[in-house]
Amino acid sequence: MNRAAASHEVDGGPLIRATSDRDVLAEAAGLTVGYGGVAAIENVSFRVRRGERIALLGPNGGGKTTLLRSITGEADRISGSLRVSASWATVPQTERSRLDYPVSALDVAVMGSLASLPWWRQPGRRERAAALQALERVGMVKLAGATFGELSAGQRQRVLIARGLVQDAGLLLLDEPFTGLDASSSDRLETLIGALATEERGILIATHDLEQARRWDLVVCLNRRQIAFGPPGEVLNLAVLEATYGGAIVAIPDSGGLGILPPHHHHQS
Amino acid sequence: MIGPFSDPVMQRALVEATLVGVCGGALGCWVIFYGLSYASESLAHGLFPGLVAAALLGLPLVLGAGVGLVAAALAVAVASRVPGVGRNVAVAVVVTSLFGLGVLLALSPASPPGIQALLFGDVLGANDADLALSGALALGIVGALWLLHGRLLAVGFDRDFARSLGVSAAAADAAVLTLLAGAILVGVQGMGNLLVVAVLIGPAATARQLSSRMAPMMLLSVAVAALAGAAGLCLSYYAGTAAGASIAAALVAAYLAAAFGRRSRLPITVEEVP
Amino acid sequence: MLDPFQLPFVQRGLLELLILSIPAGLLGTWIVLRGLAFFSHAVGTAAFPGLVLADGLGFAAPLGAFGAAVAFSAGTAVVARRRPGDQDSLTAMVLVGCLAIGVILASDVFRSGSNVETLLFGSLLLIDGRDIALAAAAAAASLGAAVLFGRRWLAAGFDPTAAKSVGAGAPYLQIALLGLIALATTAALSVIGALLVAALFVVPSATARLWTSRMLSWQISSVVLVAVEGTAGLWLSVKTNAPPGATIATLSGAVFALAAAARAMPRPGRRTCLSAAVAAVAFLVAGCSSVASNDSGKLQVVATTTQIGDFVREVGGNAVAVDQILQPNTDPHEYEPRPSDIEGAAGAKLVFANGDDLDAWIDQVVSESGSEARIVDLGAAVPVKLPGESSGAEASRYDAHWWHDPRNAEAAVEEIRRALIEAEPSNAAEFRRNADAYLGKLRALDRGIAKCMDSVPATQRKLVTDHDAFGYFAKRYGITVVGAVIPSQTTQAQPSAKDVSDLVNLIEREGVTAVFPESSVSPKLAETIAHETGASSDHTLYGDTLGSKDSSGATYLQMEAANADAMVQGFSGGKRSCSIHGIG
Repeated sequence: MNRAAASHEVDGGPLIRATSDRDVLAEAAGLTVGYGGVAAIENVSFRVRRGERIALLGPNGGGKTTLLRSITGEADRISGSLRVSASWATVPQTERSRLDYPVSALDVAVMGSLASLPWWRQPGRRERAAALQALERVGMVKLAGATFGELSAGQRQRVLIARGLVQDAGLLLLDEPFTGLDASSSDRLETLIGALATEERGILIATHDLEQARRWDLVVCLNRRQIAFGPPGEVLNLAVLEATYGGAIVAIPDSGGLGILPPHHHHQS
Repeated sequence: MIGPFSDPVMQRALVEATLVGVCGGALGCWVIFYGLSYASESLAHGLFPGLVAAALLGLPLVLGAGVGLVAAALAVAVASRVPGVGRNVAVAVVVTSLFGLGVLLALSPASPPGIQALLFGDVLGANDADLALSGALALGIVGALWLLHGRLLAVGFDRDFARSLGVSAAAADAAVLTLLAGAILVGVQGMGNLLVVAVLIGPAATARQLSSRMAPMMLLSVAVAALAGAAGLCLSYYAGTAAGASIAAALVAAYLAAAFGRRSRLPITVEEVP
Repeated sequence: MLDPFQLPFVQRGLLELLILSIPAGLLGTWIVLRGLAFFSHAVGTAAFPGLVLADGLGFAAPLGAFGAAVAFSAGTAVVARRRPGDQDSLTAMVLVGCLAIGVILASDVFRSGSNVETLLFGSLLLIDGRDIALAAAAAAASLGAAVLFGRRWLAAGFDPTAAKSVGAGAPYLQIALLGLIALATTAALSVIGALLVAALFVVPSATARLWTSRMLSWQISSVVLVAVEGTAGLWLSVKTNAPPGATIATLSGAVFALAAAARAMPRPGRRTCLSAAVAAVAFLVAGCSSVASNDSGKLQVVATTTQIGDFVREVGGNAVAVDQILQPNTDPHEYEPRPSDIEGAAGAKLVFANGDDLDAWIDQVVSESGSEARIVDLGAAVPVKLPGESSGAEASRYDAHWWHDPRNAEAAVEEIRRALIEAEPSNAAEFRRNADAYLGKLRALDRGIAKCMDSVPATQRKLVTDHDAFGYFAKRYGITVVGAVIPSQTTQAQPSAKDVSDLVNLIEREGVTAVFPESSVSPKLAETIAHETGASSDHTLYGDTLGSKDSSGATYLQMEAANADAMVQGFSGGKRSCSIHGIG
């Protein structure tokens, strides 16, 4: 699948392909979502297939997190349609998970198994084995016994991804996963995301970093509405970026590419 | 010279203090991580209208108090879902209005005098019925915590993710608050209304300084509660100080010893200020 | 119908509430925004040890409360600095420490705390110039601080990390906010009470939050809402004769619930919801504002306690309208006068009081009402006096429960007769006739009880009760008071394990056969002790007040006869009973 997406990037062909319906993990059409009846992003249409890594690109306050929350059901759908046909797992910004919470990395990974257990059942030996396997997969098995809050930011991201793997989620929702990571942690995480995509999972990655967005299969540009959706090579042009970032775009002379001025903080009160 | 616990009153007080400690110690860990410290302090006042209503209707007071507490707990759960209203503000709103309502209801000539005193007990005044009720509620609370452990842990850690597991954060909140209502019902009969917060927060706050995993923390918390109960009763026996307050003082001492007696181990703490 | 706001104490209460609306509304928004609801509640409750200290050592209660509040805030700040983490559990731990100290001080050091009860619940009558000055100081300080620090508080609340970089995370800012909350909460204690402080400081701001989205409009509407709810609650409380704190709390809670429900509703439904709410409130107010009419043409007399009310009714007969302040089963030690008491005193010519500090609040009730009534201190007129407690809440020269000796009741009735004749000589003959008949019954009661007690051997007449109210009764009839289950104290006080253990040993050693719970105090501890020692606790005594109308202690004569019967049954292990003739 990943290969298919990559080739299609090279081809630059039309986005709509003849794939079977069961490959579609989530699909939005003319979707407007918000909170308490007030729209936060309008008219979003995109589709996530198995094996696709999709960037949600936009400035802070542009609606990336709101779009993720519409999939998790936390934001209200105001109009349009949204169909989520796979189980999903969130990998939140680490600030949102409590660092003083009394759990180990293994405990966090085990939490993923609750999805498949009836409410009166406690996770047992089998669930722990699955959790250890998932930790192995993300390269965290050696630190399985460490307290979650004592891990580095990159390690925490990987543990949270392991939790999603234990849950066997088809759709992984990563909210700004690269924020605060050093270069080697970023590389590691990127490799991991690539590997997960080959397992037929769909991965949504919210980011405000243009360079990050270029590395994925598809990109949704958001600024309170959908600006563009398509392969990065096609859609990331000056017009789209200006609409996305509201004029804070500069051409970077050395690289011949485009850059974004340091993000302006839009404080919501 | 006979030891303090040769006397049946003291033996019963010890059993009651231990049962209150089991409820408070085990649930207290969840109270702290679910941000319910204020609720555990104040919910006891929210039972007042239920208590007065039971007295006016001629129903058993404990039943009225129990219903009143659960209603107050669920009202807190509902009110904290109002946008812009945090958990603590919800507690303030619910408990203040319920307590005010209770005071007004108690003005009815038909309500018995000193009605709160009829329910709020003293650890030394525990009778067999109190012990039976405390035992049953303690069993229920521990059983429920056992069953719900994994889910409560997942929701407390990451509420958003819990949705993806099909675990409703609202249901988990309601469950913890309802269990809290039960623990407070046990606590007010053993410790009185003013000091019930001591057994709900003290042991858990102490254990939290010493352990960084939930299950050991809960065991430690129960142990701290039981030991502080015995130590407080001994203190009350030998120094002649008020019994419930002595238990509370022993819990505060345990907390201070744990908090200040060891090197700082928590590397980072995230301050969650709205 | 007397308009509530014409009464001077209500005017003072209104002034206090209006001044408090400034700090309550302003600080309330910060309390809601910065998640300080628990702190604001705890700082009021933590005033408990300060109040006990102030009561025990005899300095001003607000000073004690403020001292405790400052100590609490400092304690919280110190622990939070040393152990950062969950702020609420730290607050709870420091609060537990304060409460434990308070209960131990009240139970074991001062054995006191009567003022504590009033300050936990608040009282309009307690408000004096000092409270208003304190509230004004809190208002000025909050206004000043809001102007000075408002922007920085907002920044720190919005983003603590970023606030540090712009200098808005400095500790003094947090300390200023906590200190102001402590000051304002203390100032509010006297009117609304520690347990209901949130009714002014949290609930209105939370309500206003539902409808505003900017700091300034939020603050202004909070202040206005506190003022409106305070005024309406005060008016309602005077009309319905309820405590102001509870009324304001219920009212503001209801307003919050309506506001939240209306917001959750679709827009068209809101108008209906709002008009329904207004109609409900109007209905409530209309239903509450009916005021009992006074018997016109009769001599208006106020009696403080239930037994004095009974005496006055017996002597006055149909010629006197008695306004009895305490109702059956209320504890006179904890009574808080209500607005209707003051209205009652306003029209009275005579006020009969128990004296000996049992009903010391009557002086203030009379002076508040602006009445010219003469206060007759019956306690000063009775012949038999026992020494009172040397310290604590009930400290007075004499034991105040003098009515449990029927000879004292006789003297009191004679004093009542004298005062009534003096006030209304035209009815002198009727007063004399009534009093003579009643005095005969009192003598029969005295003889009857003495005879009953003689039927029990003196060595078996050993009394254990849960309140020291029966000294006079015991002395008159040769009963030994072996011990008391709870030494007379505030209800927040607790016995120690040693007290209980000693009492159990004493009961067993002395062969006491019965423990007598008092009718208006929780019987639980007495029952447990009785159960433990094999003594009976089936017989209840009437101590401080008469029983309700259909009880066995509805009148003074019935009460004393019932007490004698209960004691004889208890002393004799149920073998004997006591019925007294000539008193019906």
